[in-house]
Amino acid sequence: MAIIVEAIKHLFKRPVTLRYPFEKEAPPKGFRGRPIWDMHRCVGCGLCSRICPSGAIEMIGRGHEASIKHYVDRCLFCGQCSESCPRNAIRLMNDFEHASYSRDSMIYEYKRES
Amino acid sequence: MRREDKITAEMQEKLKEKIIAIEVPRERRIFAYIKTEALKESIKFLKDIGFKHLSTITGVDVEDGIELIYHLALDGSIELSLRLKVQKDDPRVPTITDIIPGAVLYEREVHEMFGVNFEGHPDLSPLILPEEWPRNIYPLRKKHTLEHLKNLIFKKEDGE
Amino acid sequence: MSYGSMIKVPFGPQHPALKEPEHFLFEIDGDIIVNVKPRIGYNHRGIEKAFERRTYIQNIYLAERICGICSDAHTTCYTQAIEELLDVEVPPRARYIRVIVAELERIHSHSLWLGIAAHEIGFDTLFMHLWRDREAVMDVLELVSGNRVHYAMNTIGGVRREIASEIIPKIIGSLDFLEKRTKYYMKVLRSEQTVLKRTVDIGVLKPEDAVELCAVGPTLRASGVKNDVRRDDPYAAYDEIPFNIVTDDGCDVFSRILVRCGEILESINMIRYALDHMPSGMLRVRVPMAVKPGEAVSRVEAPRGELIHYVKSNGSTRPERYKVRSPTLANIPALCKMLIGQHVADIPIILAGIDPCFACMDRLVFVDVKTNKKKALDFESFRKIVRKQRELL
Repeated sequence: MAIIVEAIKHLFKRPVTLRYPFEKEAPPKGFRGRPIWDMHRCVGCGLCSRICPSGAIEMIGRGHEASIKHYVDRCLFCGQCSESCPRNAIRLMNDFEHASYSRDSMIYEYKRES
Repeated sequence: MRREDKITAEMQEKLKEKIIAIEVPRERRIFAYIKTEALKESIKFLKDIGFKHLSTITGVDVEDGIELIYHLALDGSIELSLRLKVQKDDPRVPTITDIIPGAVLYEREVHEMFGVNFEGHPDLSPLILPEEWPRNIYPLRKKHTLEHLKNLIFKKEDGE
Repeated sequence: MSYGSMIKVPFGPQHPALKEPEHFLFEIDGDIIVNVKPRIGYNHRGIEKAFERRTYIQNIYLAERICGICSDAHTTCYTQAIEELLDVEVPPRARYIRVIVAELERIHSHSLWLGIAAHEIGFDTLFMHLWRDREAVMDVLELVSGNRVHYAMNTIGGVRREIASEIIPKIIGSLDFLEKRTKYYMKVLRSEQTVLKRTVDIGVLKPEDAVELCAVGPTLRASGVKNDVRRDDPYAAYDEIPFNIVTDDGCDVFSRILVRCGEILESINMIRYALDHMPSGMLRVRVPMAVKPGEAVSRVEAPRGELIHYVKSNGSTRPERYKVRSPTLANIPALCKMLIGQHVADIPIILAGIDPCFACMDRLVFVDVKTNKKKALDFESFRKIVRKQRELL
C-alpha cells in the first residue's frame, strides 16, 4: 500500500518527461557528439582514419591536400579520433540528432579552401 | 609460503610427470599445462582441494592442435588455468560435467566453435549456431578467416 | 499432482516477457515445469572473431559494445588484461576513477533490473517510479563520461577523462537523492503484498546447487554464498575502498531483489568514499601499440557477476585469441535448475531474476536476427537483399 500514497502525490506534480521535439534538454558540457574537423589545423597524417574502430573516417589524398569524409552513420561517438589527433584538429560537437532517411545525407565532407 | 606456491607444490606431488609445466605469473594466477589423459584426474583433485567454481573453458587454435583451457577458481580468488592440447583432426576429450555440472554449456560452446568432442556429454546439440549451419565448419578455427566464412555462407545461399 | 501427459512449450525467441531474443523449450506437466532446454545464440555478432582483426585500441570500443548495460565492466576487464600483458601500472587516480564509474554503472544496472522485475510481476507503478529515479544516475554518468550508455572511460594504461572538482557536488547531490529513494523502495518492496506474493519462495536455488552449477554474482549471493570478485581478486582500487558484501539467505527471487537493493546502497557509499579519497596525479600512462607475446586472464565483478576475459597475444598489434565469458552464460545452468518444479506463470520473473543480458551472452558468429538464417550482416549483402525485395514488390 505504501506506493499508493506516492502515486497519488504525483497526480498533482508536473510531468517528469519533456515533450521532446518541442522541448529539448541541452546535453552537459563534455558531451561526446559528432566530431568536426578544423581543416586549417589538419596536416593530413591520416591517424584518425586508421585508428577509427568502425571505419567511419575516410581520408582522400595525402598530406596538405587531403580532404576528410566522415560517415556519421557508422560513427560510434567514442572520441578516439579527437584524442589521437596530433594537431588537435578534431573537436566533438554537442548535437545528438543525426537520424536521417538516407545514408547519403549522413556523410560530412571536410575540404580545404584553396 | 604463498598460497599459490602451496597449490603448485601439491599439484606437482599428486600429478607428478603428468604436469608438463606450471607457473605463477602473478599473484592469484596459476597456469598449468598437463597431459591430455590426466584431465579428469586433475579436475577431480583440484575440486577436492577447493577449486569448485569453473569460470569457463577457452579453446585456442594453435598450430599443432587445439588447446583447451579450463579456468577454475578457488573461493573466487585464485584463478587456475588448466591447459591441455588435443589433436586437430580428431579432437576428443572426456567430459567433466559429471564432476562439475556447471561445465555443461561451456563444453557445448567449445564443441560448436572448435569441433572438440566431449565424450560422455549428455547433450551436444547446437547451442549457439543456427540449425542450418554447415557441419564440420568450426568458425573459431584459424583456417576459417572471415572472408572464407562469408564465401562459404553466401555461395550456399545463392544456390538456393 | 501429475497429469501424466507432457506438453512442450516453446518460449521465445520473440516473447513479450523478454526484451531480448532467447529461446527456452519448456516441458510441462499440467502447470508444472519438468524440464528446460535453453537455446541461445540469437544475438551472436561474431565479436570474438572480430577481436582478432582489430588493433588493441580499436578493441576497447569493440569490448564496450559487447553489452550496453555493463559496458564499463567489459572495458575494465579488457584493458586490465592488456595492461597485464604490457606490464604497465595504472596511475592511482585512474584506478579510483575506474571504481567510481564501475559503481555508478552498478547502481544504474541494478535499478534498471529492479524496474524490470517490477514490470515482470505486473507492478508497473513501481516500474515507472524506479526508472524515473534511475535517470538521476544516468545524468551523472553522462556528466562524467559524455554519454549515457557507452562511457568510453577506460583506455589501455588508465582512463580518458578527469572527474573535475566542479562536478563532484553534483554527483554527491544525486547520490543523496538515490540513497533516499532506494531506502524508500526497499521499504515498499518489503511491505507490498503484490511483490511478496509473486517473489517469496519462487525460483529457489539452494546454496549447494548454486556452487555446483557455478552461478555467479547477485544470483549466487542471494543464495547466501559470500563471493565477490571485488573482494576476492581485487582490481582497480577495490583493495583500498571498504565495502560489505551483501548476501541473503532466502535463495528466492525476493532475496535477489534485496541483494541488489543492498548493493545499490553499498555502491553509493563506495563512490562517496572514493570521491573523498581520490589521490591526485596523472590519468594515464603511454603504452606501445604492439603487445609482446603472452597470455592473461582478467576478472571483473560486473553488475551481473563474475566476468572473465582471456587474451593471448602474439607480438603484433592485434590479439591472437580473445575470449569473453559473461555472467549471464554462467547463470543459465542455475536458471534451469530454478525453473524446474515452478509454475508456468512464474517463468518471466524467474528468468528476469538472474538479470539476464543476452547480448553479453551471445558473442561469436553471425546471425541475421530477422530471418534467423545464418549470414554475415555486412552492408553489401544487406543491400542486395533489400534490392531483391524491392524488385519483388
